[in-house]
Amino acid sequence: MKNAIAIAKKELNIYFATPIAYVMFTLFVVIGSYFFLRLLGAYEQASLMYMRFNAGEMANRLNFQDAIFRNLFGNLGVILIFIVPFLTMRLVAEEKRQKTIELLYTTPVTPGEIVWGKYLAALAILVFALALTFTYPLLVQLVAKDANGVEWRSVLLGYLGLFLMGAAYMAIGLFISSLTESQVVAALITFVILLMTWIIGWTASEAEGWVRDFVTYLASVSHLDSFSKGTLELKDVVYFLSIITLGLFATNRAVEAHRWS
Amino acid sequence: MIEVSHLVKSYRDLKAVNDVTFKVEKGEIVGFLGPNGAGKTTTMRMITGVLPPTSGSVRVAGFDVFEQPMEVKKRTGYLPETPPVYTDMTVRAYLRFVAEIKGVPRKERDSEVERVATKTNSEKFIHRVIGNLSKGQRQRVGLAQALLGDPEVLILDEPTVGLDPAQIIEVRELIKSLAGKHTIVLSTHILPEVVATCQRVLMIAQGRIVADDTLAGLQKAHASAVTADGQMGPAPSLEEIFLKLTSA
Repeated sequence: MKNAIAIAKKELNIYFATPIAYVMFTLFVVIGSYFFLRLLGAYEQASLMYMRFNAGEMANRLNFQDAIFRNLFGNLGVILIFIVPFLTMRLVAEEKRQKTIELLYTTPVTPGEIVWGKYLAALAILVFALALTFTYPLLVQLVAKDANGVEWRSVLLGYLGLFLMGAAYMAIGLFISSLTESQVVAALITFVILLMTWIIGWTASEAEGWVRDFVTYLASVSHLDSFSKGTLELKDVVYFLSIITLGLFATNRAVEAHRWS
Repeated sequence: MIEVSHLVKSYRDLKAVNDVTFKVEKGEIVGFLGPNGAGKTTTMRMITGVLPPTSGSVRVAGFDVFEQPMEVKKRTGYLPETPPVYTDMTVRAYLRFVAEIKGVPRKERDSEVERVATKTNSEKFIHRVIGNLSKGQRQRVGLAQALLGDPEVLILDEPTVGLDPAQIIEVRELIKSLAGKHTIVLSTHILPEVVATCQRVLMIAQGRIVADDTLAGLQKAHASAVTADGQMGPAPSLEEIFLKLTSA
């Protein structure tokens, strides 16, 4: 575990010594803020309209969680699909290309520690990126002076969902990175796989019966949505945790197998 | 200290290393010679445990590389062909990281980094990012990394490649100063280097050991025929022996 933390620190050192993390954080926040402002604008319009038509019932139902955050978390989740491949692409691929992996193989470090170290660094980057978006609920809380402020419980659950989904994406990206020496190939393949976990959900509306349930279960965004609604369901947690476990296990095998090639 | 027995590495039909057996005693400096592609690097990678052998075994300090890799890795420092440096890190951050994964205790880490940097003459550029260093400087950082933690066994794959003549002499002196305490295997195809630093020569050609002797022993064995007046012929240089053995 000590070695894993040493490797994680080294990865973070490199993340912040190169522009890649900064560029990705900026993109994440810029696109995220665009969506946030759009949703805020829509909320404002809706509440003005309800007031003008004296629709008190509707105005009462209007709340930040459903009108803003549920959609916002969905959007942030989709942005993660575009961001994560660039954050995971160099993790193992670059070590192989630069032959620095030989250093890790000849020092008393196990493949498991290599994988954990790299994954911990990826998670730290993810937490950092998500923390930057925490300004949105804080801003809303600041302007919402009445009793119907931000539902913090639901917002935090949404963040838990985003974190779990990002962590699952990172595990997939780490695995793909351990299969190749090329960062570009790693990023592209990771992106395609992550994209598939999103768009496979679209076919659910055309399917019926068990196929529909199955496809819905496969789609990562549908699992995120139940967190964003403010519910915590075991099946969603299991879905993300099983992807993480599978991804880390496969990476461990790939790092070990690299020597035998 | 190092026992290599019947080591084989084959890639499909190609036998990169073919039945290599040798022993290195504690405190010895052994020069590993051979033309390009003879199997030097492959053998060294198998000794350090980077590459699993097809068959045969390697024991370092009594531990089998395959059965107890961690014990072996704790005791060996390895400088691969390309120095395994992270180009985005500074020399100090890099050496600290390597010291950490080699298990150097936190309190001694800074002084240990300082020690190897001084030994390899790297302290002048210790604050710089490795990506901006010259090849020779990177090579010295790679050597510093191998020395971290003061391992008993040092496996150095062409340690003087990319260095200027003054630095080559420095590194030779450094390697000589490590003799006795450390067991060193260094590969090279610069023959004077072996003459200057090594006590024993291992010659490898086409994956096989073709010579395993001291320099004097080699010269004796390959001395030219006795001349007419009964005198021994001139002792052959290492170059001549090398060409003779590796061309076959």
